[in-house]
Amino acid sequence: MAPAIVTTDLAKRYGRKQALAGLSLRVEAGEIFGFLGPNGAGKTTTIRLLLGLLRPSHGTARVLDRPIGPAGTATRAEVGYLPGELSLWRGFTGWHTLRFLEQLTQRPAVDRDALLDRFGLADADLRRPIRTYSDGMKQKLGVVQALQCRPRLAFLDEPTKGLDPLVQQAFYDTLAHARSQGMTIFFSSHILSEVERVCDRVAMLRDGAIVAAGTIDSVLASQRRRVRIVFRAPTDSSAFDRFGEVLSRSDTRVELLVARTEIPELVWQLSAAAVDDLTIEPLSLEDAFLEHYR
Amino acid sequence: MTGSAGTVITLLRHAWSRHRIPLIPIALAIGLFEFLLTRLAPAPNEVNWISGLMATMPPEVRALIGNELAVTPGGFLAIGYAHPFFILLLATWVVRVSAAAVAGEVGLGTLDMLASRPAARWTLLVSGMKTVALGLAAIVGCGWAGTAIGLGLRSLDVPATGLLPVAAMAWLLFTAFGAVGLLISASRRDGGQAIGWTTAVIAASFVLDYLARLWTPIARLRPLSLFRYYEPQVILAIGVPTRAVLVLAGTLVAGLVAGLALLARRDL
Repeated sequence: MAPAIVTTDLAKRYGRKQALAGLSLRVEAGEIFGFLGPNGAGKTTTIRLLLGLLRPSHGTARVLDRPIGPAGTATRAEVGYLPGELSLWRGFTGWHTLRFLEQLTQRPAVDRDALLDRFGLADADLRRPIRTYSDGMKQKLGVVQALQCRPRLAFLDEPTKGLDPLVQQAFYDTLAHARSQGMTIFFSSHILSEVERVCDRVAMLRDGAIVAAGTIDSVLASQRRRVRIVFRAPTDSSAFDRFGEVLSRSDTRVELLVARTEIPELVWQLSAAAVDDLTIEPLSLEDAFLEHYR
Repeated sequence: MTGSAGTVITLLRHAWSRHRIPLIPIALAIGLFEFLLTRLAPAPNEVNWISGLMATMPPEVRALIGNELAVTPGGFLAIGYAHPFFILLLATWVVRVSAAAVAGEVGLGTLDMLASRPAARWTLLVSGMKTVALGLAAIVGCGWAGTAIGLGLRSLDVPATGLLPVAAMAWLLFTAFGAVGLLISASRRDGGQAIGWTTAVIAASFVLDYLARLWTPIARLRPLSLFRYYEPQVILAIGVPTRAVLVLAGTLVAGLVAGLALLARRDL
């Protein structure tokens, strides 16, 4: 099966500002792909390039095996999109908005009722103008409009913004259900815990370039471990400095960041020391993220 | 209906949802205005009296009202199709709809919701053009209906159908301004900017035509104004000048084509 997204050296420049610098990535069909990065890293620019809303300054991309660009209507017929800064027509009701966007998509909203039910959007809510909606309700409506026509590929930019924890759970269930139907989801976020929870693979973006990519396990495996050593008595721990970066040190303890490949050698070295306690923590995605953006 | 035709219809309905509320009062106001003019117009036996009144007016006012044809009942009614009130209401519609079509959606942040769908960019502009044109047809049609009803109630020896070419040219003039407005809208990132620029273009065109009629040194510039090609009293007297139709239709097509080319190439 052809990959859902392939980009090669994709770049976007706004005047002097390089928003995206040579992005090359591949998103397989049917996977949930986490796209991580702080604000301004280029996540939204990437999505808008892939949708054909922006023109690349350099490079190429294919979405659903077709080249990207303003003329890509066939591609966009099979794509759902939730913008990071969701704006809807304030005077329209929820029903009007969903039906209008369904008509524009030119595919029946086969999943609309199930999504409305899952997110607790009642008929009475949908009859009200959107100007009366809370931010959370608008975001729920945004998720529904993105997925209602069962797209092959959904771009979700910060989808849980404004959703309460219960609704977030409903959202994660929705993603699991979508994946079971074979939908590909391009999931942009800076909430690491949810990415770790729902995504198959991730890419981390910094200043418009990818700094880490792969399965979550492989990204974590490539990160350094946090090692805490507590000695029984005051010890000169400088001998361990060569294993990694010292985070903190006292007479009886030292905390280091150590590459995974160095761990066996470190443990061997410690066997000769008077160690009272040893903790080797796997890094969370959040730690990995912070390490890349510190 | 699917494909681009279906998209244009969907976008037309969308525009109708956004603009229908102001359309109704504008059309009714124009209809009432043209109807009132049939009550105020001089009867055939009052023409001499009106001619005398016109002669006392300063040239600035006479330039605004029109030529000597204005003293006839038909000429007086034609004034209603070039009156600043009439111009203002049609311009309001043109500016509102054309600015909203692209720049307004960008400014609201809603263009992403449209452009991320299988809607070709040209459908945004074409549906905007159709909304401008259909709305203008409704507004101008109401104006003509006001004239026709008035003439039905008060005989001025002027057939209402005689004013149809005037109404048609008013429609063509403002549809041409609509195309210019859509070109501006396609180039802007905010509805306010598009409103400002389109208003400025229409106002500048109106003022240029007015001043060029008054002030000989700039008379040569008058052809640069689209209002030069819309003279209701001349249309009523001698018919629709072919050159005027060509210039207005040419502006319409050129504005639309330029807008389409610009929109196809820009970042949204």
